[in-house]
Amino acid sequence: MLLWLPLRSLLRSRRRSLLSLAIIGLGTTIALVVLGFVQESRALIRETSVAEFGNLQIASPQLWEDTAEDYGYLVQPSTLDQVSALLASESRVDAFTVQLQFPALIASGDRTQIVRVTGFVPGNPALSRAGEIVAGRDLETSDAAAVLVGRSLADRLDLAPGSAITLTLTTVDGAYNATPLQVVGIYEFSSEQVELQSLFIPLRYAQLLLNTTGVDRIVVTLGNIADTEATRARLQAGLTDAQLGLEALTWDELSPFYQQLSNLFDILFGFIALAMAVLVFFIILQILTLAFLERTREIGTARALGTTRRGVLGLLLAEGAWLAVIGSGLGVALGTALSLAFNAIGIRWAPPGTVEPVVLSIRVGITTALAPFLLGVVATILSSLYPALQMARLPVVDALRVE
Amino acid sequence: MSEDARFCHDAGRVFLETRDLTKTYRLGREDIRALEGVDFVAAQGDFVVLNGPSGSGKTTFLNLISAIDRPTQGEVIIEGVSTTSQTDRQLAAMRRNKIGLVFQSFNLIPVLSAAENVEYPLLLHRLERPERKRRVRAMLEEVGLGELTKRRPNELSGGQRQRVAIARALVSRPRMVLADEPTANLDSETGKAVMQLTSRLNKEHCVVFIVVTHDPAVTIYAQRRFRILDGHLTEEGNDAPVASTA
Repeated sequence: MLLWLPLRSLLRSRRRSLLSLAIIGLGTTIALVVLGFVQESRALIRETSVAEFGNLQIASPQLWEDTAEDYGYLVQPSTLDQVSALLASESRVDAFTVQLQFPALIASGDRTQIVRVTGFVPGNPALSRAGEIVAGRDLETSDAAAVLVGRSLADRLDLAPGSAITLTLTTVDGAYNATPLQVVGIYEFSSEQVELQSLFIPLRYAQLLLNTTGVDRIVVTLGNIADTEATRARLQAGLTDAQLGLEALTWDELSPFYQQLSNLFDILFGFIALAMAVLVFFIILQILTLAFLERTREIGTARALGTTRRGVLGLLLAEGAWLAVIGSGLGVALGTALSLAFNAIGIRWAPPGTVEPVVLSIRVGITTALAPFLLGVVATILSSLYPALQMARLPVVDALRVE
Repeated sequence: MSEDARFCHDAGRVFLETRDLTKTYRLGREDIRALEGVDFVAAQGDFVVLNGPSGSGKTTFLNLISAIDRPTQGEVIIEGVSTTSQTDRQLAAMRRNKIGLVFQSFNLIPVLSAAENVEYPLLLHRLERPERKRRVRAMLEEVGLGELTKRRPNELSGGQRQRVAIARALVSRPRMVLADEPTANLDSETGKAVMQLTSRLNKEHCVVFIVVTHDPAVTIYAQRRFRILDGHLTEEGNDAPVASTA
């Protein structure tokens, strides 16, 4: 009965209890929908980042620190063989490839553009662009002076499969070099920046242009993104033991955009959650203060019959707890229903830096619901604490005098 | 030997004693003495009636001897233990274990049924559910409400509510029951029935009854009658006839 008594007290003032539940539920719903959106957006950006960088990249620290004035950071074939052996022994590695990136200038007619050229191994499953080709074809192993350009760059320079561009660069020796390239394919990517600035050519041709046999990084993809940190730790230990002077970085370390956006999302959700919690706290505080005050005589009676202060505190907090659990539960149910409805409607929006709108998606699940549920519960129980303490501290004789 | 029988065996033993009991309230800058130097003794099985004009200190006296208020001076001694040195928690335990209270306006918990209201003190005693149910059923039958156990207070008449309040006060087998104007809200017939019940329970359970009342119909049940006037307590005589409960 001591468990049901607080619930019955709530049911006595149905209108007030319903208002309380609505406020707690609404706060939980908003927090849930925002968190679901943030989690899904973060996952989308994570996938994009992994698609751009792979799970891990191994290179000289000079490359990561961007301190080299020349190409001294390049990984030569003898070192590459040792790294390949290390990667082959790692069961969680799905695939790996090598790349050689360098800055260059392209010209098409009288228009020029500074770009970052990536020499990669055509046909290697790690970071394959095959699925992103929207016109023409992917690079093939037999290609030489062929290039894949991004959709946004193609639009800007009026390029199409078969178009010719001129690439100007500096070799590892510091000499200028230039070569004509034929556009064989146009790729799309979720990031407009990547589409505008990244060109892809065969690795062998890139090495030829730079006059080197080296590569600047080894790109590793894993079967499961959750294995990234553990795999990095093991690979780094192997690289250090072999004294190769190389460092492994994870995709999130390589993507400042993800870091910035992730921080922004954390702040956004934190702010909204805090605002909801504060709102719920003060409104429920007001409602429960009035509700408890109205029952001062009843509480005095309970104390007169021998209920301790702690007992009264427990009864009143139990009322807050009932409100908290039911209200937050309703909020989770409503938030989940709203999220599913949003997902079903398929509202499209364009995240910052993307080329095309994507379908607005809100994550639904127990892990997403847990934080908003706890937020509602904690805010409500905290809001009931002060009026419950006040009532429990009231002298019995004073409580009994209240009409 | 049952617990009730043991109480009866103890009849005549001092249960409650007050010494120089004084209560002062502060009203603005003025101190008002609601009770002044009251010495009082009640033995097991006593049926005591207190009367006096409004504001004379009756309710203050009741609050002090029921340990829901603390005296400004003097002490209340219940079964040899002074309440002055007791903590709030110990006073709550004392009320729970030794004292039953019947309020003028019943003070039943509105969201609980008659049976649940009576059960409430037993929950505080942490009795097992079957024992609680057994005692509640027996007590409600004793006060003539065996058929109305599931009714909420707002579904009961004034007399029925007062019976529930009496059942609640007695169900945990207290040594002393304090009643403040128990018949004030009842019609004369119901008031008479309630007092007959109270008197019978006093005799059968040997419980100390201290009843504050203005009602002359109640006074006839008293073994001892006291009058409070301006905070002073005087006994009106202990040879008054005891009313028949038949």
